[in-house]
Amino acid sequence: MQSTTRQTARLPVGVRVTVHSGPSRTSRLTAVAAVAAVAAVAAVAAVACGPRPSPAGRGAAERVVSLAPAFTELLFAIGAGDRVVGRTAWCDMPPAALDVPSVGDGIAPNVEAIVARNPDLVVLYASTANTAAGERLASVGVRTMTLAMDRLEHVPAAAQALGEAVGAQTAADSLAAWFTRGLDSARTAPRPAAPPRVVILTWDRPPIVIGGGSFQHELLTLAGAENVFGDLPQPSAQVAIETIAARNPDLVVLLDGDPNPAWADRPEWQVVPAVRQRRFVTVRGTEFARPTPRALGAVRRLRTLLDSVAR
Amino acid sequence: MKRWPVLLGLAVLALAAGVAVGPADLSLHQVARALGGNGDTATLAIVRDLRLPRTLLAFLVGGSLAVTGAVLQALVRNPLADPYLLGLSGGAGLGAVAAIALGVVGSWGVPLAAAAGALAAIVLVYRLAVVADAVLDTRVLLLAGVVVGSFAAALVGAILALSPAEGLRSALLWLLGGFDGASWTALGIFAVYATVPLALLVRESRMLDLLSLGEEPARFLGADVEPLKRRLYLAASLLTAAAVAVSGIIGFVGLVIPHAVRVLWGARHGSLLPSAFLLGGSLLAAADAVARTAFAPLSLPVGVVTAIVGVPVFAVLVRRWAT
Repeated sequence: MQSTTRQTARLPVGVRVTVHSGPSRTSRLTAVAAVAAVAAVAAVAAVACGPRPSPAGRGAAERVVSLAPAFTELLFAIGAGDRVVGRTAWCDMPPAALDVPSVGDGIAPNVEAIVARNPDLVVLYASTANTAAGERLASVGVRTMTLAMDRLEHVPAAAQALGEAVGAQTAADSLAAWFTRGLDSARTAPRPAAPPRVVILTWDRPPIVIGGGSFQHELLTLAGAENVFGDLPQPSAQVAIETIAARNPDLVVLLDGDPNPAWADRPEWQVVPAVRQRRFVTVRGTEFARPTPRALGAVRRLRTLLDSVAR
Repeated sequence: MKRWPVLLGLAVLALAAGVAVGPADLSLHQVARALGGNGDTATLAIVRDLRLPRTLLAFLVGGSLAVTGAVLQALVRNPLADPYLLGLSGGAGLGAVAAIALGVVGSWGVPLAAAAGALAAIVLVYRLAVVADAVLDTRVLLLAGVVVGSFAAALVGAILALSPAEGLRSALLWLLGGFDGASWTALGIFAVYATVPLALLVRESRMLDLLSLGEEPARFLGADVEPLKRRLYLAASLLTAAAVAVSGIIGFVGLVIPHAVRVLWGARHGSLLPSAFLLGGSLLAAADAVARTAFAPLSLPVGVVTAIVGVPVFAVLVRRWAT
């Protein structure tokens, strides 16, 4: 807190306390005193509300830096948005998250920018590129939490882990239960007799397709389609145009893309009938780019789009 | 080893392999029938519109890169010279990434932007290396190429770090090189374009022999060294820029094939250049077939295959040459 110029804390009763601290010694002392007072009030409130179970026996996190857009969304969704004091440059949902200061990239993050936010919890995406940052944060005494976020099943798991960390278990549990129910009902929804065979193309040169290891494959499957590259264990894979032509999908799903991509005019792509006849389904929005609670809506939209093309 | 039968045999084998194998499960019989115009639409399209132009383009690009590498090695008299050394890969990368960041449209936008970036690098390197009295100093050329390439690569890094465009990271995959953009159109354009610099380079074979003795001896033996160097540099670079446009950056071929040919059959450019063309073309066509097929349905970047197959062979050759 010594380096922050403006300190905002929210009391458990919902009173916002704003502390300005400048370079002068007196105001810094004021700030320290004020923050100490806030902390004391918070501690009293916490005791008054009864003990909160938390990981590692520590109190519920009050200042969370979220290092993946999906975690930021979940924290806001379980009502802990006011605890988020740092986010990545990519965290744009919900719109209120944009008011939180950005600490830059979430993968291989800038540790100094994170520590400057004075967090008591940093949530990292489970990636080897984040190992070093996690160790450095731990070495300066910041609690870290590393969560996987690659499949739809990770959404309820991460919601509950985050809920426990910030003391919002009730909201997290109900979100997780709602999401799991939604997934189950999508899974058991009646499937078309002949599901459309689909390729999700994320890049054209080299062609990169979504494989069975991706949550986007799950979205597609739940929407009642068959991913022609669902047999690949990878989340995404580079393949030859010949392979796509040989698997001959009925439709090409373009994620967050142009409905009339320029590459579709290139002669080599005319070998794929679905490209030649422009049988494209274009979806936009970050719910198709990362696993979040909005995945259920994404599945419904994809199903509607696929149905409208099938007719 | 008899040179021409071996090289022509390899070329035929590599071209045949490129058309015969691929991730689509087609029998040799089906492929042969498709080449004759018989079979279902999908098979015909795969064999005639994908495999055939792709294999021919890989062969032509491989041959062009090998010839360019041989010429540049003689020009700068440095065994480490390769077609991309003189700033071309950096310039091409900057062109491609800038085009994607700026949202350049059109199905040929990115390849043309890459070629334009390579051309810009060529002009800049050339301007830096031409010192007093229009003398192309090959030592400065080498250094200018390296620094211009590094500068362009740094700009690419900055654009990638700062731009929110998600496709940008995938743009780098394009630069890793490959023949996913191959078509009869691309093949036709490249073949017509490449003929001019290739013919020019082969025509200068005797002058290259002189030049590889050193600039002073070449001058004493009657070579008009300065215009020669400029012609060689521009023809080699323009050829490489076109290769970048159709296939990105494919390393190893241009560096190693010329050395392999010199080790096997000697350094006279009159036969070195055609030999390098055949061997480089064979290697790249075969490597592309392996890249498409070895881990099908997954594809490997073709540069990975050329290095994995080529480095051990080259190491053996160099050992034989040294002893």
